Amino acid sequence: MSNISITDLRKSYGQVEVIHGVSLDIEPGEFVVFVGPSGCGKSTLLRMIAGLEDITDGDLEIGGTLMNDVEPAQRGIAMVFQSYALYPHMTVADNMSFGLRMAHAPKDEIDRKVKDAARILQLEPLLDRKPAALSGGQRQRVAIGRAIVRDPDVFLFDEPLSNLDAELRVEMRVQIAKLHRTLSNTMIYVTHDQTEAMTLADRIVVLRAGHIEQVGTPIELYEDPDNAFVAGFIGSPRMNFLNARANGPKSVEVAGRTIPLPNLTADLRDGTALQLGIRPEHLDATDGVRLMMDVDVAEDLGATTFVHGTVGGETLVAERRAHVGNAVRELEICFAPDKVRLFDPDGARVR
Amino acid sequence: MSEFTVGKRQRRLLWGISVPMALIALTCVYPVFFALNNALKSNREYILDRFGIVSEPTFQNFVQAWTRSNLSEYFFNSVVVTVLSVLALIIVSSLAGFALAVLRFPLRKLIFVVILASLMIPVQVVLVPFYKTIIGLGLLNTRAGLILSYTAFFLPFSVYLMTSFYSGLPRELVEAARIDGAKLTQVWWHVMLPMGMPALITLGILNTLYCWNDILISLLVLQDNRTLMVGIAALRGEYTTNVPLLTAGIVLAAAPIVILYLVFQRKIVSGIAVGAVKG
Repeated sequence: MSNISITDLRKSYGQVEVIHGVSLDIEPGEFVVFVGPSGCGKSTLLRMIAGLEDITDGDLEIGGTLMNDVEPAQRGIAMVFQSYALYPHMTVADNMSFGLRMAHAPKDEIDRKVKDAARILQLEPLLDRKPAALSGGQRQRVAIGRAIVRDPDVFLFDEPLSNLDAELRVEMRVQIAKLHRTLSNTMIYVTHDQTEAMTLADRIVVLRAGHIEQVGTPIELYEDPDNAFVAGFIGSPRMNFLNARANGPKSVEVAGRTIPLPNLTADLRDGTALQLGIRPEHLDATDGVRLMMDVDVAEDLGATTFVHGTVGGETLVAERRAHVGNAVRELEICFAPDKVRLFDPDGARVR
Repeated sequence: MSEFTVGKRQRRLLWGISVPMALIALTCVYPVFFALNNALKSNREYILDRFGIVSEPTFQNFVQAWTRSNLSEYFFNSVVVTVLSVLALIIVSSLAGFALAVLRFPLRKLIFVVILASLMIPVQVVLVPFYKTIIGLGLLNTRAGLILSYTAFFLPFSVYLMTSFYSGLPRELVEAARIDGAKLTQVWWHVMLPMGMPALITLGILNTLYCWNDILISLLVLQDNRTLMVGIAALRGEYTTNVPLLTAGIVLAAAPIVILYLVFQRKIVSGIAVGAVKG
């Protein structure tokens, strides 16, 4: 187990800077998920930690040692790739033991570690097969096994489940969560899937365009987002945003309706343009502000229905824990004012 | 396929195309037949009937070519030079392809362009400076000189092929090996060389053909002690040619290549890369 400390880390390709001074401290044994849309620099950041990309500026410490110019193999890390990156000409056992063989480990130690990892991942019957003879899920387990055998201080996962089908993804997600509980190593996990981030992470790092937008536990990010981007990214379906206008120090007007917001610490200036954020799952309250929604489509998933529609010309999704039916043209939505999150036009949170 | 019936017109068209095509294909087979047929004739029988099928087959021509015309010695030369050149070509092009496709170093693109450019210069253009260099290096009339020359002349294409092949492999394989603690030479030996097998076998066959069949470079470098192809070319006299002897030599020279091809044809591993990443 090692802590990781990143200070003002920067990455440039020629003149173009893609990581703009990221700082982050990761505790020993922590499961941290980097999440963000594609192109936000999350994979680049992970590859810089792995040593696969040079660090242009800033410091990277793993276990208290500066690692900027240390070879990947000497950093005490193991990495699981999205494409699995198994050596196709080697058997499963050879794939898993490759790192130990490169380090000239004794043969009985190699055997023991490969067997242990195979037992944890239920790979024992597959040890003599080549990767071509495995299914996607099995290949990904071998890739994880190869990481376990190295007995690293830090596990790095680069979108490991993206190539799997939906059902298998859920299964592997649970398996990775269990693995973290069993091994309790420090783990960094990159994904663009907010469900994976929410379910796996001790802490989530939300990235956008090479900047950290917010760091926090999944619930912190869900309940108390720093800005509209984080609010929109965490949660599924995403948060609804409605145009609002301040009409008092502690109230806003939305679609002709005044919404009192007594919990605000700041005083609003009359007439200020704002964005009001409210999550689909909070539009089913029995008590609070009521609005009428024109329904476009109702997606019935069985237990839940997502109702898509508009309020005052702005699109909105509402969640209902009941069947709504396709005939419904109008739906009353109701939300408690304390579930509302307010943002200024630039997306910064107004608290 | 019973539903797939061909109409009368189409069938006539099919035959109309197939027959001339088969005849054209046969013209490729005829020289092989000509060589085999005449190699088995005595000189006398050949003069009496050039194109007839051999009536009294004899292996005299093979024996004579192998022993009296020094072909055994030339054959040995060719084998040594070809095997060592092809080995050198495979090792060097795999290393260079690995470096150019995977590693990042200054002037990488320029080096690749220079290699590509040298691919476009015909051998004949550089013959004089090449010959002077061979003399200057003291490599004239040495097998090492010929091996070096073959390696140099056929390397650009081989490097180009290996670079393109390795560029098509997923980068993550090399990265995974680096994280696993493999040094660059180990990445090459344990990952790139086995992964490159399909391309390397193709290269091996092509380069074997080039080296084995070459006359021009061999003629320049090995002037005393010849290679097989030069030796066979020398069987032709200025005024008369013992055609059965010549064809026997040709059959002897072609045999190893044909056998090699038949062996490796089955061993060309296709799709060894399948399963490396999600297919």
